[in-house]
Amino acid sequence: MEKEELLQKILHCVENGKVNNAAPYPPNMKGKDGADEWTKKALEEGIGPDEILSEALIKAMDVVGKKFSEKKIFVPQMLISAKAMNAAMEHLKPYFQSGAVKKKGLFIIGTVAGDLHDIGKNLVGMIVEGAGWEVLDLGVDVNSRKFLDAIGSHKDAVVGLSALLTTTMANMKTIAQDIKQQYPEVPLIIGGAPVNENFKTEIGADGYAPDPQGAVSYLNSLIA
Amino acid sequence: MKPLQQLTTEAYRQKRRLVSPLMGFPGLSLTHSTIKLAQQNVDEHFKVLKALAERFHPDLIFPLMDLSVEANALGRYTVFPCRESATVPKDDFNIEDLELLRNINIAFDTRLRGVVETVRLMSKKLPADIMKGAYVTGPYSLAALIMGAEDAAMAAVMDTDKLNKLCNFAKEKIQQYIRLLVDAGAEAVCLLEPTAVMLSPEDFEQYSAAFIREICNEYKNSDIAIIYHTCGNTMHLVEKMAGSGVDAVSLDSPEAGVDLPGVADIISSDVVIIGNINPTGTILSGTSDMVREEVSSLLRSMDSYPNFVLSTGCDLPEDVPLENIAAFMQTGREYRIS
Ligand code: B1M
Repeated sequence: MEKEELLQKILHCVENGKVNNAAPYPPNMKGKDGADEWTKKALEEGIGPDEILSEALIKAMDVVGKKFSEKKIFVPQMLISAKAMNAAMEHLKPYFQSGAVKKKGLFIIGTVAGDLHDIGKNLVGMIVEGAGWEVLDLGVDVNSRKFLDAIGSHKDAVVGLSALLTTTMANMKTIAQDIKQQYPEVPLIIGGAPVNENFKTEIGADGYAPDPQGAVSYLNSLIA
Repeated sequence: MKPLQQLTTEAYRQKRRLVSPLMGFPGLSLTHSTIKLAQQNVDEHFKVLKALAERFHPDLIFPLMDLSVEANALGRYTVFPCRESATVPKDDFNIEDLELLRNINIAFDTRLRGVVETVRLMSKKLPADIMKGAYVTGPYSLAALIMGAEDAAMAAVMDTDKLNKLCNFAKEKIQQYIRLLVDAGAEAVCLLEPTAVMLSPEDFEQYSAAFIREICNEYKNSDIAIIYHTCGNTMHLVEKMAGSGVDAVSLDSPEAGVDLPGVADIISSDVVIIGNINPTGTILSGTSDMVREEVSSLLRSMDSYPNFVLSTGCDLPEDVPLENIAAFMQTGREYRIS
């Protein structure tokens, strides 16, 4: 099979959420190979992992992120696409670990202290990973200490805070201030339903994104 | 026509509006209580509602919102912070466990029983001209509490049979709960379906609206109003909500993305629209004058629609100042449709 065709297959599977051959979704691709099998095949055929990343995965997740922003697909469909992307990523992992393929940078993300909502944060993490970044997910209910420790070990990282409750916006402010006090140069982006551009300015963060696509645009602008 | 529609239409004829903010938690300051106490103690709970009724006299009143009651009654792990509503964090769940859950009779659960008894007290002791409402978690949101919200979202596409089975199970338990509430005197039942906001219109129809339709069928020929509440941006879902046979839809704020006049233009005028002042905006942190302005502007924008009840987009947080609720009520009461 031609290189272009193989990359297209992977892109198509990720965009449509076809994880692997056994996955029942989407119904019109039942019994067909998914992102898992096609990525394996592409590597066997000698296609470079960097090309799979940039020409198939990043492009597919870009489309997925845009469709989500435009309300053409919804949370379940986006989660499934992210799952398909992860299946492909598993095959690329050894190349990232060996340094043969470089990621765009490290993104540390977490839901702030007192807040257990993680679906939005997870989606942001997945789309950012699909855009070629390495993601370190600190989970939910993350306090300043945990963020500072993570930044301490990765000083060139970009940090993302998520909050879904009006009550935890106060904790977001404390965390943002703690981070900025110790690491003023670390780019800090915030998101989540109750926060907005004004709140970003108020707490001294550098970026605000209403959705995963916005987070990717912000991150990519840092390395442009 | 059911009483809710009748009263809404009658008010419109008199050029006024029914007014009913979703206000449980701010009432705690009136009785010096806490969320935890009130959610676990019938008398404490009722005292808050009585104080709210006396202070504000809304047209429709609900107990404190508590999305954990049904899942907790089904034995799911629940946490009870002192100053926050009880929460059901994610816990392991296998579809095989469903058979075990089936054997649980939720009517024997103390907390669920407590809500039923609170509604009974509301029905007996609050003024007759205040309609008594009750909240019930919707089928998809209850399924999501049982299996975890992210897993439920994934199951909507990957494991449709399993999710259907769980939502159907949730519907049956909800039906049992509603019967208890109606028997205790609830005149309006508001089905809370916040988690379903994540679904596509097709999935929403399959995992939520279809089950709500079955619930509505049971009350078609009664006076009980069934209200469908989904928070967040529901513009892609309102037609499914309104088409499910409910008597009213309760919708979130413009800040969440909901355009109420836009909704009124596309759904049947037989369905009452309840909403939609932002519960975490001006009313939480602005002045009373700002609240008056926001409420007047919403009322004005709905002037040409008879099927409207002034409310908030969702439950008001505990810290909302009482004077802002008073400003909301007063503006709603004094407003006249031009
Ligand atoms: C770093 O850069 C970025 C950039 C963009 C970022 C970003 C970071 N983070 C997010 N984004 C953005 O991108 C994402 C994709 O577009 C978006 O993320 P979102 O998270 O907004 O969107 C997700 C994709 C989908 N949306 C969600 O996942 C949230 C859905 C709703 C239904 C919701 C859920 C599911 C849950 N809840 Co909760 N919950 C509600 C929500 C009501 C609603 N209809 O929205 C909300 C948020 N909850 C609320 C509340 C009050 C609570 N919840 C609680 C608990 C829960 C569950 C655990 C049961 C569950 C969470 C499950 C989980 N694993 O996340 C309790 C608190 C627990 C705690 N300490 O955190 C509890 C206190 C009690 C309760 N009523 O149940 C309300 C908050 C009110 C407020 N403004 O303060 C609420 C609006 C519902 C309501 N009206 O009562 C953007 O915001």
